Formats: sequence, C-alpha cells, structure tokens
Amino acid sequence: MCCSAAIRLPAAVTAQKKVVEQIAEATQPSISPADKEAIKRFEERVKQYVKLRESVKAKVPKLSKGSTPEQIAAFEKASIEALRAARAGARPGDVFKPDVAGFIRTTMKSEFKPGEKKEIRKVVLEKETNIPVPLKVNYPYPDPKEYVEMPATLLLKLPQLPKQVKYRYVGHNLILVDTDNNLIIDYMLDALP
Amino acid sequence: MRRTTASVLTLFVLILFSYFNPTYCQNNSNGNARGSRVSLPAKPTLPLSLPLKEGSVRFAVIGDTGSGTDKQQQVADTMLQYRAAFPFEFVLMMGDNLYGSENPDDYRKKFANVYQKLLDNKVKFYAALGNHDQPNERFYENFNMNGKEYYRFTKGNVAFYALNSNYMDKKQLKWLEDELAKDTSAWKVTFFHHPPYSSARKHGSDKQIRQVLEPLFVRYGVNLVLTGHDHVYERIKPQKGIYYFVSGAGGQLRPGDVKQGSALTDKAFDQDMHFMLFEVVGDQLYFQVISRTGQTVDAGVLPNQKKKK
Repeated sequence: MCCSAAIRLPAAVTAQKKVVEQIAEATQPSISPADKEAIKRFEERVKQYVKLRESVKAKVPKLSKGSTPEQIAAFEKASIEALRAARAGARPGDVFKPDVAGFIRTTMKSEFKPGEKKEIRKVVLEKETNIPVPLKVNYPYPDPKEYVEMPATLLLKLPQLPKQVKYRYVGHNLILVDTDNNLIIDYMLDALP
Repeated sequence: MRRTTASVLTLFVLILFSYFNPTYCQNNSNGNARGSRVSLPAKPTLPLSLPLKEGSVRFAVIGDTGSGTDKQQQVADTMLQYRAAFPFEFVLMMGDNLYGSENPDDYRKKFANVYQKLLDNKVKFYAALGNHDQPNERFYENFNMNGKEYYRFTKGNVAFYALNSNYMDKKQLKWLEDELAKDTSAWKVTFFHHPPYSSARKHGSDKQIRQVLEPLFVRYGVNLVLTGHDHVYERIKPQKGIYYFVSGAGGQLRPGDVKQGSALTDKAFDQDMHFMLFEVVGDQLYFQVISRTGQTVDAGVLPNQKKKK
C-alpha cells in the first residue's frame, strides 16, 4: 500500500541497517537502463542550472543567517531579476525533457495505483487558498503563496535534486522551482495521472 | 517461589501501567472527561500546573500563528502574562509563521510586533516551516533557523529537531537519522508542521509523513512530536510509545473541527486559540495548554519512555 499502510520493509534487514535506506529500498521503483540514462542527463541539466544560479547569486547581496525582512526582500528581488536575465532564453521542457518526463510520469502512475489515489491526491491536490499559479518558465511562483506538501514516498522515488532546487505540485502539474527565490525553472503538464 | 516472583512481577506491571496510562494526565479545571472537548468558562484564570523546578528546561509552543489578527495578539498577550509566572526561555513555532504575503511589513505585522514584548525579554523563537511559509524565512533573524530548513539544537538534557515536513526528501531523512543515531540526550523532541496523527476534519493524519518518520522515531527513541497544520489542539494517545501533540491554533482557529469520539484523541480543544507550555524536569515532562483567554484546557505530566522499559 502506498499511503495508508506502513512501508513493507524487507524481512531480513539487520538492526544495523539505516532506516532511511530500508525505506528507500522498499519504495524504489525498478529503473530500466534507458531510464537510468535519462535520469543522469536530467541531473546533469539540473547541475548546470545550479551552476548558473550560483554564479548569479555571487553577484547579488548575500543573506546572512540572521537577516532582517528588508534584507530578505532585497535579496529575493535582486536574485530574481539577475536570474531571469541570465535565463532569458529558457523554454518549457529545457530541463524536463521528454525522456525523463516519461520516467516521471510512469513513476507517478505506479505511485498513484488504484485504491491508493485518494490518500495521496488529498496531499497533493489539497489547497487552502485559491490563488492561481500561472505556469511560466522564469517567472516567480505567485505571492501570496501556499505550497503543497510533496509526498515523502514520492520524493524518494523521483530523481534526487540538490538543495537549491525543489519539485512542487501545482494541481496536476509538476514544477521545478528555485529554493531561494521561487522562480519556476521548468514545468511538466499533467504529471499527476 | 516462582509464584511469588510472578505475583511481584504482575504487581510491578500493574503499577507501571497505572502510572504511565494517559489518564494519569490531569483533566482541565472544568473537569471535562478524557477525550471530550472543552467549553470555556466566563472568567479567565491564571493557574499554573507546572512545577517550576530549578534547572528545568522551560519552553512554549505555538502553531499556525502568522495571521496578524487581534486574536493572534491576544494569544501573545496571554503568553506574556503567563511568562511572569512561568519564565519560559524560548518558543517553538510549528509553521505557518506568516500567512499570505511576506513583505517586510508582514514580518512586523504577523510576527515581530505581535511578540515584541517577548522578544524584548530575550525570549528566543525557533521556527519550523509550514505550507504557507516561504523558505527564505530560514534566514530571518528572529526565527533562529540559521539559514537551515531543518536543524537541531539542545537545551539542558533535551534535543530539539525542527523539520521541514513540506519537503521531506532523502537528504533531510538521512540527516535526521544520522543526528538521532548519535544523540545521547535524555529527551528527543521533534517539531514540524504536518501532523502524523490528527483527528481534525480539515487535514487529519498525514500518513505520508508518518510513513517515513515514524520508523525513525521508533528506532531512535524520539520522545515527543509537536506539530500544527490543523487549527486545533489535540493530545494524541501515545502511538508506539511516542507522545504526539497537535498545536495549530496560535493565530487561526477551526471551531468544532476535531472529530468527536476519535480513537486517537486523549484530549482536544477546538473552541478557541491556544498556546502550550512545557517544563522538562529530569525524566518528567510537564505540560499545560492555555487558551487565548487564559483558561487551562489541558495539563499533565508524561514520563520519559526510557524509564518505562
């Protein structure tokens, strides 16, 4: 069962084995060699994005661990402007190319098995506010915002991301956002079956 | 001889059971039965159910606060009143620290102005992120997150883990496991936004988050789990030996949202906003839950689970 029951851990796991590894193994989908290659290429594209944003970030005022609201606002504004300029030519599908999009859709489909959909959909589609989120690459996620919780078991199955980038659901669509400034890096339509 | 040993053992188990059974927790001053909702009396009072022992770890808990409303302010005012009697050192925030926009004015209106007097008194706030919080809150000076979405700090014999339940990815889970594995603190407390157990109608138990966190909590002896998200108060019956509280009504309220007769509930309160006070004294955890108007709606003492074994 995906959501309503505990993850079935292998019976023979030793007490020494890390719990997270056990959970990850128990939830991991089988990945074909072609998918492995697609994931590798996707991770490389994400790395390139991170490299670009780090170089842009170096040019904007830095945030300290104890910043004021004014400093946070100034950082967000400056980093959004700089990053948008640096990625002016970004187009939908630049990161979520069809090969990895296919893997992600298949993974979603297996996660959203019949009988398990209700629970996970409740998490993914649940919203308290009704602010529309326009899907536009290189535009920020709108403010006032509400972030849908990303189901933890799904995050274990999707290609892993560096801390600078996050997956997020917007309705049935999956987006990739920058952690620090909420810029939409890319999106995938109808990722949720 | 064997029979005597068995009798002694049985007696010992019975004593332990009666001591650790949740009914040991006191009921509120209204005398409401366990598991029932509490209705407010007309007059607020300031009774203290905490022992105020020297050297104890004292803290408050608030959740889902950032509305900037008069009622959020009233909760903060009552906290301040109680601090005169119970000088708590710091406050844990369960997330949804700032609803809506997050401009500099919002930080003031929904947080700094509201808790100004506590901040002036050097009370530190430690925040977790909720689904309404922009991740950059982690850099805000008064949230003491040190730029981290998840982090650990200790006070006395208690270790606190703030988690980001919006995005519980492998990196965070591995960090949590590594930290818990080497943690020798007497008390391990985690706090985050989405409740693994909740009897509220609006959100209820987050089974996704429970699925990945509960095995870690059980393996590494987490004692206490504090959450918000549902805009009510609920003390959950201990689950796999772990104490769970939902405290999501520090600035928002969903009146009547707790399902009556839920098998999870030890005590619930959904008629007004609230905050919580905790005091850790050795292997005892004392708590008191106070409504916006100053009424104690739940209180009790919970033993450290290690002592149970």
